[in-house]
Amino acid sequence: MTKFAIPILGITLGLLLPGCNGNDSGDKGELNIVDTTQTSDEASINFESPDEDYHLPSPLQIASIFKKSGLQYNSAATNPTEVAANYTDELELLLNFGVYSADMAYCVMNNQPNEGRKYLKVITELAAKIGMEAVFENADLIDRFNANIENSDSLEILMVDIHERSEKYLDENDMEHQSSVHFSGAWIEGMYLGVYDFENNNSNDGIGTKIAEQMAILHNIIKGLKDPRNDGMEIEWLITDLSEIENTFNNFDSVKNYYENDMPGEINLIESEYNKLGSLIKALRTKITNG
Amino acid sequence: MKKILTFIGILSFVVLFAQTAANLTEFKENIAEQKAEAKSKLKAYRYDGSKITYFNFKTYKQVKEVEIYLFNETDYRFSFNGKSLPNDITVAIYDKDKSAEDRVLLKEFTNIIGDNIVVESSELNDSYLVQKNEKVRLKRVYVDYIIPETAGAQNKEPTMKERGAVVLVMGYKN
Repeated sequence: MTKFAIPILGITLGLLLPGCNGNDSGDKGELNIVDTTQTSDEASINFESPDEDYHLPSPLQIASIFKKSGLQYNSAATNPTEVAANYTDELELLLNFGVYSADMAYCVMNNQPNEGRKYLKVITELAAKIGMEAVFENADLIDRFNANIENSDSLEILMVDIHERSEKYLDENDMEHQSSVHFSGAWIEGMYLGVYDFENNNSNDGIGTKIAEQMAILHNIIKGLKDPRNDGMEIEWLITDLSEIENTFNNFDSVKNYYENDMPGEINLIESEYNKLGSLIKALRTKITNG
Repeated sequence: MKKILTFIGILSFVVLFAQTAANLTEFKENIAEQKAEAKSKLKAYRYDGSKITYFNFKTYKQVKEVEIYLFNETDYRFSFNGKSLPNDITVAIYDKDKSAEDRVLLKEFTNIIGDNIVVESSELNDSYLVQKNEKVRLKRVYVDYIIPETAGAQNKEPTMKERGAVVLVMGYKN
């Protein structure tokens, strides 16, 4: 049922129920009917997008960008699937749904289909716990995954399919605000995998600039988390930690110099700045994955 | 008599809202079809997501803006579907947001009503180079939907005739 149909059904029921009781409600009932109708009607038909909106890249695109920069796969870097059972509350589940999505993208992009399959299984289990089981229902995703296990391109298309189904489901069920929570988990995991490679792969000079490049989207991730519809999840600590990462990055001399002098090319952080940024990312990733 | 009038009133509301529900459901179903069409225009570009911008035509001009990130060494294709528009709008793509006085207009087009129009990041980069004489790749772009004023529009209680949406589907080249 779509977000448009739900209020309309509510309106109709709102009209019918007082109507059924109309025999003993008298004039007061009639007045209530008119008020309810006008308010709900406006809420559904008047729905408009915000004047300023944004599009965040998919976890698969982020994994693709890191892969192209020379990132090497390391099985020790991802969040183990075994700890998924430890996530119980809504926020832990939503964040780690994002973390595991990024891990699956990392495996698929790096031709590790057997590992990727484990992440698909755990994502499916977490989806059931956060009310998104419909995304994976009747989809035979594991079967499709197995059928294409030797074909990385087909597995990427499968991931795109999951992403699209999730997007559609969240949109139709008025749950878009939750996508910023999934995405922040996916983003921090993607950044962590980049930092891991930066620290452990001496042959890769390109990954550092990609980490800095990805910082551009953090502002809108934080904006999405601040959506009032996320208020019930106690995400203040997450917003605080992400804001600290953003402020620290923006105050690096390399970053200020880049923007103040309108420099061409990429932002190149110095080693101490990378270390500082990396330590903040690792700390937040640990907080999220430890639950 | 009063009860009969009340009953007729309620029945009218129910019929009206059943019709509205049907219209809205149809509107959403059309959006899904248009998204599929826009996606098909990505061709070799990998689907990255969509952004559907909903609005109502009003008696005054409106601007809805969508920020899109462009990462280095990646080419993008943007597919705009305007088949849920009751009236035409202008789509303008800039390098900076609408608060920046020095922003550069990279591309502008109209006649999107009833059509699907594709734009690639390479042409936006080329446009920036021509206008600023700077060979840099854009790191983000801002898509402005300029919704013209519509005489006689019902601003507070819009009808389905005033309801519009643009489906934007984004793809990147691996």
